Amino acid sequence: MTSLAARMLRHRPGSSVATLLALALGALILTAMGVLVESGLRYHPEPVRYAAADLVVARTDTTFTGKEFDGEIYRSTVALPEGGTVPAALAGRIRDLPGVSVVGTDENIPVVSTAGVPLSGRGWGSAALTPAVLEAGAAPDRDDEVALGGVRLGSRVDLVVGGVLRSYTVSGSVSGDAVFFTDAQAAALAPHRGEVSAIGVIAAPGADLDDLRNRIAGLAGEARVLTRDDSGLAEQSTDRAAAVLLIQVGASFGGYVVLLVIFVVAATVGLSVRHRRRDLALVRAVAATPGQVRRMIVAESALISVIAGVLGVPGGLAAAHWLTAELTGRGFLPAGFPMVPGALAGPAAFLIVLVSAVLAGLLAARRISRIKPAEALGEAAAEPAGGGKARFIGGLIALAAAGSAALAAVAATGQTAMGAALGMLYLFVLAVSLLAPWINRSAARLLATPLRAVFGTSGYLAAANLRANARGTATVLTSLVLAVGFGGSVWFLQNNIERQAVAENHSGLLASRALVAPAGLSDSAVAALRAVPGVRAATPIRHTTVLAALMGDGESVAARAVDPAGLASTVDLSVKSGSLAALRDGTVAISRTQASMFRWDLGEKVEMRLGDGTAIHPLVVAIYQRGLGFGDVILPLATVVGHTATNLDDEILISASASADAGLREVAAAHPGSTLVDTATLTGGLARDLALSAWLNRMLIAVMVGYTVVAAANTMVMAALARRRELALLRLTGVTRRQVRRMVNAEQIGLLGTAVVLGGAIAALTLSSVVRALTGNLVPYVPPLGLVAVLGGTTVLALATTILPIARLLRVPPVEHIGIKE
Amino acid sequence: MMVHHEPAVRVEGLTRIYPADGEPVRALAGVDAVFTRGTFTAVMGPSGSGKSTLLQAAAGLDRPTSGSVWIGGTELSRLSETKLTELRRGRIGFVFQAFNLIGALTVEENILLPLRLSGTRPDRAWLSQVIERVGLSDRLRHRPSALSGGQQQRVAIARALASRPEVIFCDEPTGALDTNTAADVLALLRAVVDEHGQTVVMVTHDPVAASYADRVIVLADGRIVHDMPQPGADRIAEHLAALGHRRAVTGEGAVR
Ligand SMILES: Nc1ncnc2c1ncn2[C@@H]1O[C@H](COP(=O)(O)OP(=O)(O)OP(=O)(O)O)[C@@H](O)[C@H]1O
Ligand SMILES: [Mg+2]
Repeated sequence: MTSLAARMLRHRPGSSVATLLALALGALILTAMGVLVESGLRYHPEPVRYAAADLVVARTDTTFTGKEFDGEIYRSTVALPEGGTVPAALAGRIRDLPGVSVVGTDENIPVVSTAGVPLSGRGWGSAALTPAVLEAGAAPDRDDEVALGGVRLGSRVDLVVGGVLRSYTVSGSVSGDAVFFTDAQAAALAPHRGEVSAIGVIAAPGADLDDLRNRIAGLAGEARVLTRDDSGLAEQSTDRAAAVLLIQVGASFGGYVVLLVIFVVAATVGLSVRHRRRDLALVRAVAATPGQVRRMIVAESALISVIAGVLGVPGGLAAAHWLTAELTGRGFLPAGFPMVPGALAGPAAFLIVLVSAVLAGLLAARRISRIKPAEALGEAAAEPAGGGKARFIGGLIALAAAGSAALAAVAATGQTAMGAALGMLYLFVLAVSLLAPWINRSAARLLATPLRAVFGTSGYLAAANLRANARGTATVLTSLVLAVGFGGSVWFLQNNIERQAVAENHSGLLASRALVAPAGLSDSAVAALRAVPGVRAATPIRHTTVLAALMGDGESVAARAVDPAGLASTVDLSVKSGSLAALRDGTVAISRTQASMFRWDLGEKVEMRLGDGTAIHPLVVAIYQRGLGFGDVILPLATVVGHTATNLDDEILISASASADAGLREVAAAHPGSTLVDTATLTGGLARDLALSAWLNRMLIAVMVGYTVVAAANTMVMAALARRRELALLRLTGVTRRQVRRMVNAEQIGLLGTAVVLGGAIAALTLSSVVRALTGNLVPYVPPLGLVAVLGGTTVLALATTILPIARLLRVPPVEHIGIKE
Repeated sequence: MMVHHEPAVRVEGLTRIYPADGEPVRALAGVDAVFTRGTFTAVMGPSGSGKSTLLQAAAGLDRPTSGSVWIGGTELSRLSETKLTELRRGRIGFVFQAFNLIGALTVEENILLPLRLSGTRPDRAWLSQVIERVGLSDRLRHRPSALSGGQQQRVAIARALASRPEVIFCDEPTGALDTNTAADVLALLRAVVDEHGQTVVMVTHDPVAASYADRVIVLADGRIVHDMPQPGADRIAEHLAALGHRRAVTGEGAVR
């Protein structure tokens, strides 16, 4: 069967090339996404800071437990966004255990050089955990001494520690970016009171490590006791965050692409099989069993998908390489992040493509092998009209599902909004693909008169073709609708999110000035600002992340912690219910999207975890509108003090009269690393950040839209080329070349019109329901240029991919294509 | 010559209604016929009278709306599509009116396709004899698109004969052939009946072709209107002419 399949393929290179292209591109995209996921999953941090420790006690993540529908318990573990801590007192109890030689507690003290270079501040007691630290000089001995690299021994250095400028003498030179203080000084400067970020243990020679580990675990409570193999997990690193990002992005987009590939491949394989109805029916009539025909088609799809995999997977690996460079260049990935070569991603993508091609082949074969051999013979190039009842019912179900998804579309972050939009889109497109024969027939009936009026005889023929070929053009319609629907919704969704975030931020900022410092601002800055005459209010703000359970999974939610005092004169969150005046420790304000997504209500005590894993149960006192601009959760500053990595403020919003400017500048000057900006700059910075972080989304969306466009082009070229006999017949019966061309144009315009109307309606519905859930706006923003690009692009696509192949067919004398010479 | 009296093919109350968009078309309106083993039957009748439909239903290519078909002792309506195919490729050969060949395969591969599908080893001697008789020895490596219409028809005949089926159905096998080649093909069909006891049912419009048969059945409007044993070309022509005349008269009567 395989060799027969191969022969049939070589005889019709057109449709196999189209299938090959769709599959190879699918394999390429999936491989690239797979490499991201695989790199993220396989990332295992090597210990650097704790490389000398045998055991490290730290809290690295937090676990949520949920119940499946069948009652089974499952866990989801989330890395702590602000890094966890362990009680400092634990160190003393570990020291008392037998077999322990050295115990060192470690701190992450936020330090910035006066040049703005971030350094990692530690106590000297933790130096023992890092191998070969001291290069020259001595350990710090007095409170005003530090050991750090790159500075002459004995000289004075100024460092911004915890947002405050301090001066030290350099006692020793160390490797890396660490600054060592004396243990006493470190404890005083540490962001957490009574807590440390990790405790490292060096065992006595000959001690039983496993036993020691168990004993420490007995004392450590929720904290984990890590061995050398994974003590790298305890080190705060940008690499770890990057690994999480890679998994998230790769998995979510990879998932959407898998669905897309299945759609497209099913359509292309289906079309190529449909175009060979007569050949296949003949094989059936000449004594192939339905099973044999099925096997032949499946063998054919498998064959093509293997070739596609061989082409697409290396392409995907190359694309992943390029993507890595781009991601590193744009700051999504730290330089030198270990990307894997894709030893799993490649085969996985290969397998997905193979399986979807085989399934598509099975589906197409099922349809073709069911027809009676006689049915497809003789004049049976004509399609049986209409689809089955099951198809119609399936289409209605998909439509109903899409409709209810549209009603239920609720989303919070950009990523989930995208998910909701795509889910809805896929359902709509599925409905269209199932109902396409009926849609085509109704459209043909509706368009008959206008087409005839505009195109005359050619229009009349076009309408007749559209009606008779309602089933054959189903794939073309579906792929056009997919392209229009995709291009018109997910792409613009990104625009809407960014625009809304900036707009909310802009209109919600009442403050006139802001003091910002990338390295953090201390309490003294707030106090100094409040003391400046003319300042009405100063609101310190910390950007943090909280975790909350959504259907059993730990979801990260962007949060801000603010000082409620004077909040009313610096920020307007557009409160819908409750009041921010009630915001104090033990309470929380949430955005409308947050409330609806997590089903939280005013006056309810809700459960969440701070960035370091501490569980809190605050009372919801206000629900506000402007979540995109200010984060979905607003906590009082008092709640998060001691629970963020730096324990410093990120910005201070200032409401002041213009006369206060001089005083404000003095405060800024007294806090190195901080800048006084007007709030327009602050919003502009947000817009820039958003645009940067949206780059990845945009790029991946562009890839998906591009893929749908290629798929649409593919199916249209295939459909056009399959018409050689029909067009030759028309020409032999006296239709001129010009008339044929006009007829094809008329058909294409009819199809295109239907696709644009449907795709546009789907895009509008999808976009507006998601945007509404996200921003409260009923009418989504559609950039005019984008609209022109989508509509114009589809038109050019539809005409070019049909008219060019048809023109080619028309150049050949019709007798070549006619008669029994098939 | 040995005469077998068991039926090779039997159809009973055969009706086939095509569900068309407007009025359903009744292509067969209750046909009863027995084709005895080792006989050569010609099926004639005006265009659209249901000849192809009858052949396809009798060969198990199409399922009738009602009525039954027996090939030997097997009733077809109860067979699954796979069983039916297996029966067909073992016991039936079919030559279609048009579009007989698979473009991707060479002439030889087309001829061998049913054997290949059933996994049977071809009888080389028989094959070369068949190919010789249809005059295709020098075209075996060619693609169908390089053959004339008549040559393509001959390839299809060779394919139908290749597996030595019990029954061979031919839908206008000589329609596209010149007199000499047609005579060759008809003699070949006659020979498989006489020498190998196979059964041939052939649709034709040509009284001369029909005169090779043992029996002529004439269809009109989906019914058998004449069933004549070896009538000779002249009588066949007379019958057909009478039929054409009758239809013209009734046809005119129908027009206001
Ligand atoms: N697939 C079909 N759908 C609808 N009607 C059909 C179909 N196939 C055949 N018919 C109709 O059934 C009738 C008999 O057709 P059939 O092909 O058996 O005629 P025929 O006797 O073989 O004619 P010819 O000599 O022209 O080949 C015709 O009226 C034809 O229009
Ligand atoms: Mg016929």
